[in-house]
Amino acid sequence: MRFWKLLRIYLSASLSVQLAYRANFLAAILSSFANLATGLLGVLLFYSRPEIKELGGWNLEGALMVVGFFTLTEGLISVWLRPNLTQLSEGIRTGTLDFLLLKPVDAQFQLSARNLNLLRLPDMLLGLGLIVWAGAALGTVTLSGALLSAVLYLSAIAMVYAIWFMLNTTAFWLVNVQNITELFQGVFSAGRYPLQALPLWIRPVLTFVIPVAFITTIPAQALRGELGTAALFSPLVALILLAICRVLWLRALGSYTSASS
Amino acid sequence: MNAHTWRKFRVLMATQFAHMTVYRAEIVIWMLSGTLSLVMGLIWMQQAASAPGGEIGGYTARDFASYFIATWGTAQILVVWVAWELSFDVRQGTLSPKLLRPIDPFWMHYVGHWAERIVRLPLMFVLLVIFAVLTGAQYTTQLSHWLAYLLLVPLAFTLRFLLEYCIGLLAFWFEAAENFQELVWVLYAALGGLLAPLSLYPAAVQKVAAFTPFPYMLGLPCDLLTGKADLSDVLRGFFILLAWTVGFGLLRALMWRHGVRKYGAVGA
Repeated sequence: MRFWKLLRIYLSASLSVQLAYRANFLAAILSSFANLATGLLGVLLFYSRPEIKELGGWNLEGALMVVGFFTLTEGLISVWLRPNLTQLSEGIRTGTLDFLLLKPVDAQFQLSARNLNLLRLPDMLLGLGLIVWAGAALGTVTLSGALLSAVLYLSAIAMVYAIWFMLNTTAFWLVNVQNITELFQGVFSAGRYPLQALPLWIRPVLTFVIPVAFITTIPAQALRGELGTAALFSPLVALILLAICRVLWLRALGSYTSASS
Repeated sequence: MNAHTWRKFRVLMATQFAHMTVYRAEIVIWMLSGTLSLVMGLIWMQQAASAPGGEIGGYTARDFASYFIATWGTAQILVVWVAWELSFDVRQGTLSPKLLRPIDPFWMHYVGHWAERIVRLPLMFVLLVIFAVLTGAQYTTQLSHWLAYLLLVPLAFTLRFLLEYCIGLLAFWFEAAENFQELVWVLYAALGGLLAPLSLYPAAVQKVAAFTPFPYMLGLPCDLLTGKADLSDVLRGFFILLAWTVGFGLLRALMWRHGVRKYGAVGA
């Protein structure tokens, strides 16, 4: 209950900050559309070539669903993870993390929920819209497929959160390294199109080393009805990552000595 | 260039280089995060390898590797973040001390970007060699083409820098210019040739792209190195880039003159 109340306060604070820069809003919507256009142009370029019938066994509608999941996830990162978690390294470097630790609320929760960049919300909506549109165009989506896909995507969100949080936690030891999460963004870029379109040697890396496949390709496969219950492996990976993330955070906090004192 | 200007340049270069070496870890991170062209390259390579004739639009898997590795390297030289810095400076008021110096802040940023390239170069070169060896990428052996590349890319960088500078200066009017910057980046990535060699684009998109400076900034230098463009293309591209550069140079001067008058000096 207390967490919900705090979330509401955080949300309204974020909203009032962003409404101060109204001219930015139009540009943000434009850049959301432009972002989506890049993803679409990329995928249409492949299918516009007569030599390419299918991209690693994916038809156009299926590939568009992957692009949709990618856009949605990028939007989620911009709206939620980037504005929050990048403040950790700044807080450690300057010592302002202390103020947060003094408050009687779990510090990880505060760090993870304080800010929302609502300007990037259109990215999420466009991504979601693309998934729905491509799913309808495909015409074979079943209710159970959609439910399975939703569960898998929730696990995917948990994985992205855990990876982002873990990368930021390294700031406790590597004080000088900001933007370390951009390394994940670099790898995640490989998730914008179906995994099977990539060369064979890189696919295991993107599945088992960095779970990019779980974030975009696998939820789309579930929507297409290609996955059985074996896909429930995904929530397990998510839970393990979340647990490691929490342990790492508590250990990091234990070794924190503060910059200001 | 007289002795006085040369001294200013040397001092700026030395201080900016020292500044950039402090951020070497971050420079490496940013360098490794720009993977869009590599991902696109891997997909095109895979598709070409599995296509019936082993090629797509005249590109074999090896041609794609050559093109996209060149694109990655060239895009590394064209990286510009000045819009973020200007936007931040205007919003936070940190522009004020820079205005007091007897030199336009433009030069500090411009030289700073070049100094960063020097820090970036060693690792970038190592990675380029590794990528090229792994994929068997092949490049032209004609010295004149490499010299033309070395002429074209600094001009392309200067143009991109001026373009981004103008976007950053929008902060005088709009307070936060970051989103405009993203919009232009998308155009640059899509029309410059990060997604595919421009000759594989639909004809309509190719026509639109020709009216923008982007294909000459990124696609043309890469085509030159892979042997898909010749010196006459470069000559044409060079003059187009030059015209755009002069245009944006004038626009920057105009925006700076009017913008500084509007500057509220927050926090001063």
